[in-house]
Parts: sequence; C-alpha cells; structure tokens
Amino acid sequence: MTLDGLGAAETASAIRNGDVTASAVIDNVFKRVNAWESQLNALITPLEERARQDAERLDRQVKDGKAAGPLYGVPVIVKDNMCTEGIPTTCGSNILEGWRPPYDAWVIRKLREAGAVIVAKSNMDEFAMGSSTEHSAHGPTSNPWDTERVPGGSSGGSAASVSAGYVPVALGSDTGGSIRQPASFCGVYGLKPTYGLVSRFGLVAFASSLDQIGPFARNMEDLALMLSVISPHDPQDATCVEGKRPDYVRSGDNASLSGLRVGIVREFLTDAVDPELVVAVRDTAAILEDAGASIVDVQLPNAGKAGLPCYYIIAPAEASSNLARYDGIRYGRREDAGDLIGQYLKTRGAGFGNEVKRRILTGTYVLSSGYYDAYYLRALKVRRLICREFDQAFGEADVILMPTTPSLPFRKGELVDDPVQMYMSDVFTLPINLAGLPGLSMYTGSSRSGLPLGVQIVAPRWEECRLLQCGRAVENALGPAPLAGGSDR
Amino acid sequence: MVTEDEVRHIARLIRLEVDENEVSRLQEHFNEILEHFHSLGKVDLAGIDPFTPEEGRSCPLREDEVHPWSGRNAAIESAPLSDGDFFKVPRIISEVESDDA
Repeated sequence: MTLDGLGAAETASAIRNGDVTASAVIDNVFKRVNAWESQLNALITPLEERARQDAERLDRQVKDGKAAGPLYGVPVIVKDNMCTEGIPTTCGSNILEGWRPPYDAWVIRKLREAGAVIVAKSNMDEFAMGSSTEHSAHGPTSNPWDTERVPGGSSGGSAASVSAGYVPVALGSDTGGSIRQPASFCGVYGLKPTYGLVSRFGLVAFASSLDQIGPFARNMEDLALMLSVISPHDPQDATCVEGKRPDYVRSGDNASLSGLRVGIVREFLTDAVDPELVVAVRDTAAILEDAGASIVDVQLPNAGKAGLPCYYIIAPAEASSNLARYDGIRYGRREDAGDLIGQYLKTRGAGFGNEVKRRILTGTYVLSSGYYDAYYLRALKVRRLICREFDQAFGEADVILMPTTPSLPFRKGELVDDPVQMYMSDVFTLPINLAGLPGLSMYTGSSRSGLPLGVQIVAPRWEECRLLQCGRAVENALGPAPLAGGSDR
Repeated sequence: MVTEDEVRHIARLIRLEVDENEVSRLQEHFNEILEHFHSLGKVDLAGIDPFTPEEGRSCPLREDEVHPWSGRNAAIESAPLSDGDFFKVPRIISEVESDDA
C-alpha cells in the first residue's frame, strides 16, 4: 500500500482494519520530513520518538481488538500556538523559548481521544502576527510548490506540512486569514470556523474576539472529519457556544446544490486582484452552477475598503492586552535587570520580534487616552457595520464566493520590510473574522506558472455544512488537492 | 502625525524597551498605518452602538464549581525563577523612584 498522499479517513480505516500499521504510517511521515524539511523549515518541534511510542501503543490495541476512533493512527501536525502538555510551545517567539505548557489545549485533547498521533509542532509567524511565516524566531518556512516563495501565514508551517505530504491533516489558527491565506498559497483546503464553534482553551491568544482554530486537508472528507473532531462544545471557553454540532462528515453526501444562491461581489474582482485569481473565482462559480446553484450579485461596500483599517486597529489593540502577560515572571525568557520595570522592558524588548513590537505598540496607541475614541471606538462601530453588511448580503445569497487573496504566493523577502503592503494580503479574509463568519479556502487548480490557486467561500454563522457541500462540489469537479512535488519525491 | 516622543511614551506604557534607531523606523510605520485609518473617518456611523449584542445573546454563566487541577507544580517549574510554591520577582521599587512607579 502506498502511504504517500494517503488521506486521514483512509489511513484511520486502513489501520483499524489491520491493512497497515500505525508504526508504518509514522515511518513514512518521518521519511518525508527528512526528505523535505531542510528546504521547507515547516516544523519547530518534530516529535518522532513520542509519535513512534504512540503508534506502537495503537498497534497493540489493534491486535487486542480495541482500535476505535475516527482519526485512529492518523498523523497530525499542530501549529505551535496550541498548548501541548510537556511539549515545547513557542508561538514562533524567543520570549517563550523552552516553555512547556502544563496542560493540553481542548483541540489537542479531542485529537488524542479520536486516536490521532501528533507528530510535530509547526512553524508560524510570531504570535500569529503575519501573512508569510517569515516573522518566526525559528526562521522562515518555504512554499512546497516553489521554495523561493512564501507558504503564507501565519499558519504556514501547518499548510506546508499538508501540501508536502508530511501528514494528511493539520491544525492552524485564523485571526485575519491565517488558515485561509496559507491554504490558498500552498494549494490545500483550509477552513476557519464560525467564531465560537471551536474552543480556544489552550490556544495562545492573539486577538480574542477574532481567533479561531481550524483544519487543513487535501480533500473535503478529511476536512469535515477534522472539524467534527475538534468542534464539540467546551465549557472551559466562555466564548465557545453551546449546542449540538451538525453532522459535518455527512454534509458533503448530497452532491446537488439545487436551490443554493451563490453571491458574487463584483467590486472584489477588479484589477487589484491577480487576473488568474479572478478567473478562478468565475470558474468556481461555473462549477457551483453546474451542481445546481444559482449565481446572484451581492454588495459589501464597506467590508472591502474599511475592513483592513478596522482590523488593524482592533487586532493590535487586543494583542497589546493579550501579550502583556509575557513579562519574564511566569513563563519563558527572562532578562535580568535591577528591578521589575527594568525586567519587563528588557525581557519584552529582547523577546519579541519586530512585527509583534509594531503591532502591540499600534494597539497601545489606539487604546491610549486621547486616541481611544478616534481609533478604537470608531473601529468597533465600523466592525458592527461590516457585520450588518454581511447579514444583509446573506438575505440575498446563501454563500458568498470571493478570492482568498489578491495575489499569488509572493517571493520570500519581497514584503517582509513593507508591513502595510503585507497587510493587504488579507484584504479578503479579515472582514470574515470581523464578522465572526465561517470561511473556506478551496484548492482550484494551478496558475500558468505552476502556483496554486485558491478561492474563498463564506457562509452565515453556524453554516459550515454549506461550505463543506460547496467544497465537495468543487472537489468532485477538479479532484482533491495534489501533493506538491508529487508523491515520488 | 506621531512624534518620536509619543513612540517612546507608548513603548514605556507597554513596557517595551526600544533602542533609539528603532524609534524612527517605528515612527514611520505608525504614520503609514495611521494614514490608512483616516479612511474610517469617511464612514457614516450614525446610530451604531457597538456594545449592545445584536442577537439578544447574553453572557453565558456557569456554576461556580471547584475542579482540582494537578498541573500546579508544572506551572511553577516552567517559570524562569521560582522559590518553592512561588514565582519569584525582582525588587519592585528601585533605589531611585521612577516617574511611573
């Protein structure tokens, strides 16, 4: 049995049935990691020894007839901002070097209960602030499709890991596009759930009203499976909403999109967007129409223009508050200085990278006395306006189709010294976080130069099933996302 | 326009040491991003109250039940400096009073 490119559901089934051992699957993971990692730098902490021990335990349980769990033996990679008990969790930052959390995040617990094997913690922009995975204290990650280019960010390590076939599925987090944009750049599927669907317990906070954890996969069945595993209600997170989750796994069963209205925003398809991505959106609309959907025009007059400045006030404001805890007292790095204030100044000055510093300074500025009303309060009102715009648009459409990003994956180093230009990368993703909506970036083929093309589909809150159905229709037409570089590498 | 003194003041508020050659780069960045924020000034926000929940949702409550947690020792052990059951901090008030002590 070829293990390269095997999906998560297939892997779990094969292991439970005894067609392949969990240990053989882990062997294959680290074969691919060893072949690619010197070029990709997708991982911060590989967990080979631990993974092999987990796999051996799972293999013994198969022999004893006790194999159970929808992700049984499936190797998974998680972004390094999710707490894993006793395992280093750095958030891509020097300030958390050596820190080992004393507990598992909720999603980690759910993965383990489902039988998954966590094989590594992946690279990321520091504290999830970035769109290229170039702002990591552990060095940049490369795009498996073209190693001169970025994989996107901030969950670039997880996206690259799935694209390069280290693992069939991975977890990332998305605050302004950090799952969807790297999914598009790396040619895989990436889903940001509705805000409040997936528990943030154990996710190191960047912007607490925007952060969500979500899956990457190379096919829609695996994406739905991961969502169903991580999404049960968790009482430890007061922002995780109660209620029974739908059957995400079955949501793709109905191939017909008859009756579904797909909204297109014409203002999002201008020459500010790469022409091949505009064509990808139109081609995707045609696929959905063939599956029975109808296409309608919708308007989002403020989401596109005001979304970016609104986000870049609110997210840094929340980040400045969330990152105040990194003071060298309870965890991570500590710089010696005579007194407490000195310790704070030196620890934070030495421990944070430039992008994090820029954002927490901006956040403090917009919250400070004299500026709060003009910036932060105003941004909160704009956010409410954007939410209402989406509500109105969803009165006329059931899902909205748009680009994931305005450009194809850019080269490493191209935007790292131009932060505001880098921020533009998320112009289509961050309004979705502001409104708390679910969004899926789908793999829709390759550009003329061989780079992946991604298209984004957005639904009202709690309507992930519509996204999974549409994603399935696109996958039926175009095939699942391929491994970057092929399985013979 | 943000001045260099304002940058230094904000850095002090956030307890972040920035060296002098970083100050002017940060000032440039601030001014560039604040340019973008000015576009928000043109949006009509009359009558919008951002603090009232729109869906009629109230803050969820839970029972105040104590659940023992066994990770306390691990939490203390992962601190850079600890002393038995305590996190250790440097002296809080310095010999020379700082202007924001």
